[in-house]
Amino acid sequence: MLISCPHCGPRDLAEFSYQGDATRTRPEPASTDTKAWHDYVYTRPNPAGPHHEYWQHAGGCRAHLLIVRDTLSHEIHSVALARSANASGARA
Amino acid sequence: MSPRRTTSGGSIDRRRTIRFTFDGEAYTGHAGDTLASALLANGVRLVGRSFKYHRPRGVFSAGIDEPSALVTVLKDGVREPNIPATRIELHDGLRVESQNRFPSLAFDFGAINQLGGRLLGAGFYYKTFMGPVIGPLKGTRFWMFCERFIRRAAGLGRADYAPDPSRYERMNAFCDVLVAGGGVAGLMAAEAAAKAGKRVILAEQEPETGGFAKWSNETIGGKPAAEWAKTASERLAALDNVRLLTRTMVWGYYDGNTLAALERVGDHLARPPKGHARHRHWTIRAGAVVLATGALERPLVFPGNDRPGVMLAGAVRRYAGEYGVLCGDKTVFFANNDSAYQAASTLTKAGGHVAAIVDVRPTISEAATALAAEAGVVPLTGQAVVETKGGKHITGIVVQSFDAATGALSGDARPIECDCLAVSGGWQPVIHLASQAGAKAEWDETLQAFLPPAPNQRWSGAGSFLGQMTTAGALESGRNAGLSASGKKPSRARLPEVEPSPLEIAPAPIFEIKAPISATRGKAFVDLQHDVTADDVRLAHREGFVSVEHLKRYTTLGMATDQGKTSNVPGLAIMAEARGISIPEAGTTRFRPPYSPVAIGALAAERYGNLKPNRLTPMHDWHVEHGARMMEAGLWHRPMIYGAPGETVEQAYIREAAAVRRSVGIVDVSTLGKIAVKGPDAAEFLDRVYTNMFSTLAIGKARYGLMLREDGIAFDDGTTWRLGEDDFLMTTTTANAGPVMQHLEYFLDIVWPDLKVHLTSVTDQWAGAAVAGPEARKVLEKCVIGTAVDNDTLPFMGIVHGRIDGAPVMICRLSFSGELAYEVYSGAGHGLHVWEALMEAGESFGITPYGMEALGTLRIEKGHVTGAEIDGRTTARDLYLDWMLSKKKPFIGSGLMDRPGLIDQNRIRLVGVVSLDGQPLGGGAHIVEQGSLDALGQSIGHITAFCYSPALAKYIGLALVKGGKAQHGRRAFVSDPLRKRFGPVELVSHHFFDPEGRRMHG
Amino acid sequence: MVERATPLGADFRPGSYGDFADGVGVTLSEPSTGTIVEATAWPGHEKALTAALGRGTGLSLALAPGAGAYRDAKAAAFNIGPGRFLVSGKDEGLVDDLARAVSLETGTITDLSHGRTALRIEGMATEWVLAKLFALDFSLDAFPVSAGRATAHHDFFVQIQRTGDHRFDLYVFRSFARAFAMALRHAAQDVGYAIK
Ligand SMILES: [Zn+2]
Repeated sequence: MLISCPHCGPRDLAEFSYQGDATRTRPEPASTDTKAWHDYVYTRPNPAGPHHEYWQHAGGCRAHLLIVRDTLSHEIHSVALARSANASGARA
Repeated sequence: MSPRRTTSGGSIDRRRTIRFTFDGEAYTGHAGDTLASALLANGVRLVGRSFKYHRPRGVFSAGIDEPSALVTVLKDGVREPNIPATRIELHDGLRVESQNRFPSLAFDFGAINQLGGRLLGAGFYYKTFMGPVIGPLKGTRFWMFCERFIRRAAGLGRADYAPDPSRYERMNAFCDVLVAGGGVAGLMAAEAAAKAGKRVILAEQEPETGGFAKWSNETIGGKPAAEWAKTASERLAALDNVRLLTRTMVWGYYDGNTLAALERVGDHLARPPKGHARHRHWTIRAGAVVLATGALERPLVFPGNDRPGVMLAGAVRRYAGEYGVLCGDKTVFFANNDSAYQAASTLTKAGGHVAAIVDVRPTISEAATALAAEAGVVPLTGQAVVETKGGKHITGIVVQSFDAATGALSGDARPIECDCLAVSGGWQPVIHLASQAGAKAEWDETLQAFLPPAPNQRWSGAGSFLGQMTTAGALESGRNAGLSASGKKPSRARLPEVEPSPLEIAPAPIFEIKAPISATRGKAFVDLQHDVTADDVRLAHREGFVSVEHLKRYTTLGMATDQGKTSNVPGLAIMAEARGISIPEAGTTRFRPPYSPVAIGALAAERYGNLKPNRLTPMHDWHVEHGARMMEAGLWHRPMIYGAPGETVEQAYIREAAAVRRSVGIVDVSTLGKIAVKGPDAAEFLDRVYTNMFSTLAIGKARYGLMLREDGIAFDDGTTWRLGEDDFLMTTTTANAGPVMQHLEYFLDIVWPDLKVHLTSVTDQWAGAAVAGPEARKVLEKCVIGTAVDNDTLPFMGIVHGRIDGAPVMICRLSFSGELAYEVYSGAGHGLHVWEALMEAGESFGITPYGMEALGTLRIEKGHVTGAEIDGRTTARDLYLDWMLSKKKPFIGSGLMDRPGLIDQNRIRLVGVVSLDGQPLGGGAHIVEQGSLDALGQSIGHITAFCYSPALAKYIGLALVKGGKAQHGRRAFVSDPLRKRFGPVELVSHHFFDPEGRRMHG
Repeated sequence: MVERATPLGADFRPGSYGDFADGVGVTLSEPSTGTIVEATAWPGHEKALTAALGRGTGLSLALAPGAGAYRDAKAAAFNIGPGRFLVSGKDEGLVDDLARAVSLETGTITDLSHGRTALRIEGMATEWVLAKLFALDFSLDAFPVSAGRATAHHDFFVQIQRTGDHRFDLYVFRSFARAFAMALRHAAQDVGYAIK
């Protein structure tokens, strides 16, 4: 499997490490809402189909990527640098 | 000349004689032979014994589909079992053994299984050996008891325990167009893509390209087909943008047009050259793929169809056309399609004798009749083979009238003498790679075969893979596939003419001849390699197995090393018939990689031996030269002890630890993870990731820090040094350097992208030597210039910069041992230089280098935690590090660390343990309140670290025990059934030694 | 000044190895790099950083991912990540020049002169040998001279710059250097190699 890193181009899967669900939102740092923290840390929708997730190009440019991957077919619909994607609000 | 070798023709080199042995017997063959063709040329018909019934088996095919002629190759003292004789290129010194026979191939004890053959049907092992419901051998235990006997009787070749001396390697390749298969279609595709300027890789699994053209007696463009193919191949090889890989099988098609191929670089050589690989595993990333993988012939299923001498018609054709080998003196063809007639024609032209052609179809085409006439026979149409005669080799067959519509047999059974029966049941395109790529096969009524469907990755097909069963079709579809893969439209340019004009391959839908079973007629095999018969398939159906996947697993049909290349479709057809449904309704199984077996060595390639690279500190060679026994800590190699002659490990670490407490010791701490944290927001960032405060840290000072995970569990600890306003040096534990870096990068990239902080791993930039002990300051005073090291200039947790013997150093006064101690950091390239200077300066104080064991001992005496206690389950409170949890700010983990389950006082928490019987403790041993070695008590915790403490003169340890501090002063027992250790202990504070820390502040 | 020790060990000594009967396919060496630094720009300050690095090294650096510049035996720089560059030079003093040239406004400089080891591989079989270790397209079109790539071979994290048609400089973490040299040597056995 190849992932097209926006910075480095298509690279082998082995260079990347999965960094989790990208749809979760971190509570405000000082939040004492245990339920919100619990959802952030543990609750995952696990959809069958397109899934927003973070990958780090650990064996490359070290950037985190926001990837939309189909969990049924492995097809990667889009890859963006997480920083720019999150800044432009492109996240689902 | 061998008895069955023609005097001319084919592509073997008759001038080059090659010597080889089979079961110790010496034979000769020619360059260009396979082991199979050479054995056939020598008249060797019996090649192996079958998997389950030990029936005699011979060569069945001429290629990768071979189910029967499996042998063991002996090379360099290693046995490689289950290699098809059809895939072994003959070379001098080749030594081969037959398999699955005892004591010899001709006289095999195991053949007695044939007599009980009725008993060994589908699921026999499952049913018989699942065992009684009760008793000592109940259920699967009985199977486990029987298994080793069964495995000896039933099985393939014997593997070896000896290490494989061969080299394997991996290779990565990139291309615009990968062509899988170097037959006529593949050659055309590659040339079209190459001419379009594409980077092309052509992979052909056989030693030469050309495929079918190598043995067909056709002409292409007026030249013999074999010559045409050779010229086409040479043209390609001369191009810079083409990589021609022969002996290379594309065996896997993965996501993103990534394909796996195996190049058998050295198997055809008596000895590969120095440093060369035996197999090379290719990972190919292709822009587009052309699948030109051809088609494989199917046999027909009938009683006695496994007897040596029964072969595929196309194989008989290939042996005659390519190798100049006549598989029999009197060959009978038995077919449901016209391709057998072309095979008969090739055999006749090579000088062979066709005794008869038996065809299940009532009528045949004029072209086929004409080819039969050339071979000198009138086809026996509407007839079928119902029996084969002979013992270890076929001597004749019996035919009967056959109704193709009903499958009924009638009339007299007539014998025909023959010594070879060439069978054709139609052709199945090799759609494995397309199937792996995610596409589901489609059934074609005309070809009675599964065709590849519309692609769902970037591939196009060509040649007989597409069901284009003629050479003309291969030329055209090959060129078009090459053009299409290059983003071009199909060409209308003239293609070379092919002579003679081809026959249509439209087999009659006949897969099996169901003759009444009799002792003389014998079994009708579907899967020759796993000894699965047509009756086994029907039995499975009667027992309720209807899904193809279940059928496969229950009968093991198609699950042998050939993966059912000759048996999948016939097996499916028989199942479909039993269920009364059509073949496409019965379905097909999804093919998975590899297409054909791949040596594990080729997949492991360069990852052998230690598997992981060694990480070495700058002082590594010094340690080794000074008698250090090295140990692995993750990838790092660190000194465990510096043993003096005759010293045990325990004696050595006690001596080393005692020297630190008495005078001074030195330890290599270069392996600690180090991360440069820089930028205007560096201090703010550290406040967020550490549980305690770092923004208040003064420049030139260090502070101990603790990190939690988001879930509130302790993650890592270490000191972080403030080198400048915006410049910190973070240290992590050796083991967690990588995970901490990733953790920090994640937060900067995703959670706090607004923070201006840069991280760089500088673990390898710095060599670290910790100098510890009451005399440590004196050692530094002797060698450090450019700075004072007295208590005012360099207080506890202070940092100074200076030089040691010319090398710049950074010194931080830190203590892991509890003694007055300094970590001396220098550039890694100066690490050894500085270490040696410290040793010299410390000589008069008896400076003692110490290893991991002594380091561990000193920290246990002090009750400092490491990864053994920060084990991914413990909280800061469990480790009595509550004082580090700042209440002034949130930090990673503060949101969840106060959950009830994490603050429960009764969790297992850190305590010290003292052995009361003077015996050592063991890591991982349980702590129990009562019990004995035989009666294990309820565990209340476990030991995380232990040592003999020279300072306390006792065996001590750290443990995580329910209640922690509340247990201080309590008696308990250490229970270690694994090491047969049970004894009394006292639970105490983990601060064993100098709890007030007077020594390190001194 | 104290000379820096090489991490490659005594085994990495000049000579010809492997199957070199028909000449060596590649030559391995440890180029002298007095300075290696990682330079990273704050977002939006990439251009200022390349300009500052240019002042320090005399190299003109483009802003494209993987772009690099190279002056034989003097200095080299290439992009290894968003806003991030690996800069090296023969001179040990270069690290201080760069630290002065790059202000905290622009970005940060981290000295890795001891922390990274450069290994050079050159010769006609270079692409063949490297393709055994890395899933990268080493053809000149895909990987032009002076360009750089950050990649990995199992546990080895490697930053690679092409410094000639048949020459690459590979930067690895110092502690891995000896093991990585062994892996390179192993991969170069079949083409024959020399150590210079
Ligand atoms: Zn990348």
